[in-house]
Amino acid sequence: MENEVRSLSKARRILLLYCSFFRITALVVGGGLAMLPVIEEIFVVKHKLLTREELLDMTALTQTVPGIIAVNSAVYIGMKIGGVPGALAAVFGAVTPPFTVILVIASLFPHLNPKNRYLLGVFTGIRAGVTGMILVTGCRMFRRTVKRPVECAAVFIFFALAIMKVNPVWLILAAIPFGLAYVWWQTRRLAQAGAGDATAPRAESAGAAEDGGAGK
Amino acid sequence: MNQYIILFFQFCKFSVLCFGGGYMLIPLLTAEFVEREQVLTMSTFGNLVSVAQVTPGPVGLNTATYVGYVNGGFFGSLAASLGLIVPTILIGCSAAAGINRWKDTFLVKGMLKGTRLASVALIMYAVTIFFGMSVFTQTIPWEALGALFKLERPVLPAGFGVSLPGVLICGVVIVLMLKTKLPSTVLLLGSAAAGALLAVWF
Repeated sequence: MENEVRSLSKARRILLLYCSFFRITALVVGGGLAMLPVIEEIFVVKHKLLTREELLDMTALTQTVPGIIAVNSAVYIGMKIGGVPGALAAVFGAVTPPFTVILVIASLFPHLNPKNRYLLGVFTGIRAGVTGMILVTGCRMFRRTVKRPVECAAVFIFFALAIMKVNPVWLILAAIPFGLAYVWWQTRRLAQAGAGDATAPRAESAGAAEDGGAGK
Repeated sequence: MNQYIILFFQFCKFSVLCFGGGYMLIPLLTAEFVEREQVLTMSTFGNLVSVAQVTPGPVGLNTATYVGYVNGGFFGSLAASLGLIVPTILIGCSAAAGINRWKDTFLVKGMLKGTRLASVALIMYAVTIFFGMSVFTQTIPWEALGALFKLERPVLPAGFGVSLPGVLICGVVIVLMLKTKLPSTVLLLGSAAAGALLAVWF
């Protein structure tokens, strides 16, 4: 059975990619990294078209390149299994369900401003829930990304600029030369002396403290 | 025709700038569609993200489809969604093989470091945007809070206050997320039910 699947013809692989990604985005709420276990189950365990290491590499990659994580995974897994046509099939499979669902919702609820008190309550509830989720996700991301005082300062400067209504597009674009300069400065400093590590633990605790402060 | 092309390129831009998941798209989308073009209000946008969170599919795609629909019907949705995926496909098909080889080069490392820091800041900003739609009754008045720097008492706009159901639900979700491993679907359906229940009293 496994060998049979492994030697799937190109056309069958492309169909499999379309259907699998259709199923994944149709069933998985939340998208992005929530898709990962399902992808593993379908492509690694069931069809053995990817190895676990390949999937891990792919996960790192999808978070590196720009774009929505779900679409990135579809492109890279599709590419690996079925080349360019595979990537296209996977992406269109991933896009079809949310596209249809949201179109139906958009035409049923014009402009999503309910008048009914309880429906309003439902939206208020979800919004509050989403607030909590973004907060926790943001804190986790902060702790994973920000390791040194300079980085912490940079994050808060970017944050302050965002509050002052600087367009986020310019923020991201400005962050690129900053990142280049920072990495250059850091490698040069590390090359000059091995003292770079001494500051790391202190920086981490400072980051965590700021993190908690931002949380409140 | 023109509006579809504009939508397409707007979402191309978001796709290329999206480092670090769907939440960091929130400030980009509000800056573009709520503040600049004013095709959506803040509360519609909040409801839209809420719907995107409880329906299947990635938040970014759901939002693109909806914003596209509001701007230009079915073809607007199509243009926006395509805008979001075409750059990804182009980058993926051309660079997929090479990027693992380049990932330790100075250019890629520097770019990633910078954009990661910016996206953390933008997610923090997204949190404040959402605070203004749930925990508080209005958008956080940053201009008024600027008075704190001059050591003056900030004058809060009328109608700005704390929303009790929002604080309760948000707090419970945070605690549950930190203490349990409940899937986000369960948390959000719970918040929806709690919101409807609390609407009886508030």
